[in-house]
Amino acid sequence: MTLAAVPIPTQITVGMGQIAVGNKDDRLAAVLGSCVGVVLFHPRLSAAALAHVVLPASSGRDGAPGKFADTAIAAMITELSRLGINRAGLVAKLTGGACMFGAGGPMQIGDANIAATREALAAAGIPIVAQDVGGRVGRRITVDCRDGRVTIECVNHPPRII
Amino acid sequence: MRTSKLDKTTELELLNQLFSCATHDASAAMCRWTDGLIRLALDEVREIPLPEVCCELNVGDDLLTMVVLELFGEMSGAMILAFDEVNGRQLAAALLNRQVDPAQPWSELEKSALTETGNILGCAYMNALSRLIDRELVPSPPYFLQDFGASVLQQAILAQVDSGDEVLVCRTRFERQGENLNWHVIFVPSNRLRTALEGALR
Repeated sequence: MTLAAVPIPTQITVGMGQIAVGNKDDRLAAVLGSCVGVVLFHPRLSAAALAHVVLPASSGRDGAPGKFADTAIAAMITELSRLGINRAGLVAKLTGGACMFGAGGPMQIGDANIAATREALAAAGIPIVAQDVGGRVGRRITVDCRDGRVTIECVNHPPRII
Repeated sequence: MRTSKLDKTTELELLNQLFSCATHDASAAMCRWTDGLIRLALDEVREIPLPEVCCELNVGDDLLTMVVLELFGEMSGAMILAFDEVNGRQLAAALLNRQVDPAQPWSELEKSALTETGNILGCAYMNALSRLIDRELVPSPPYFLQDFGASVLQQAILAQVDSGDEVLVCRTRFERQGENLNWHVIFVPSNRLRTALEGALR
């Protein structure tokens, strides 16, 4: 009997400020706190991009495009277009943007990251089809590029999928 | 103007001296608090590229028990005491002088013991830094967290990532009778505090 080789999915970890793209054999992963994980997915072509957004606006500052909500979306569209995937047909999923620190200081930036990401997606004409944002706990996310499912794990909670 | 590599090395050496002083004071406080059982030693002061911070500090998607203190105001920053589950429980057990059942959830008393450790250690550390830069640093009340280490560290470094893609981190380790423990204190100053710290040693 001959067994067909089954491709083992490759998991790519996306660090702060980074963008990664993957096709159907890939999984994209990140750990999020106040950062926002933006997933762009093309359902028909089974390809996805994940940006690990740190801050809401670049305001002319230097930095990796994935670091800021206002530059990340355009950079993700460009990266996907290199794989032959057009903006038309892309959908978005959002996760993260938590408020991790309980003392309520000036560093609560999760909400600003969420708002800026929504705004950038609206400007790009990409609909948000699912989201799991805010709260006070961290998230470990894994994006399955084959079907766009995003598995979200939080401490002391069962995993959920969006 | 771009800072040369030599300048950068000198800066980090100066910061190393300064954080060594703060660590010394925090260690003395920790030693008193634990009846001489636990001491602290400066592990490293370094700049790390933003995407690699969590990986380089071995703070990934593992569940950690943490006590966090924030600094507010002009001189902001954050201090995180991080323990894995086993070591956090062991410290709580040692402080309370009683056996702790790891199968049970953390009791309020255990959380309080760890939080108080953060308070004592953090205040000694901040007092030392305050003296060195001649500016008052007032930490928030400490709070207890159990979450992914990377999720917490992410928010702590926000005060620095605004204006650069590298993060200055000071990491301190704990020792019990000369043996390294898997506990750390991670201190991340804001850019303004970092500038004040560097200025204090020039």
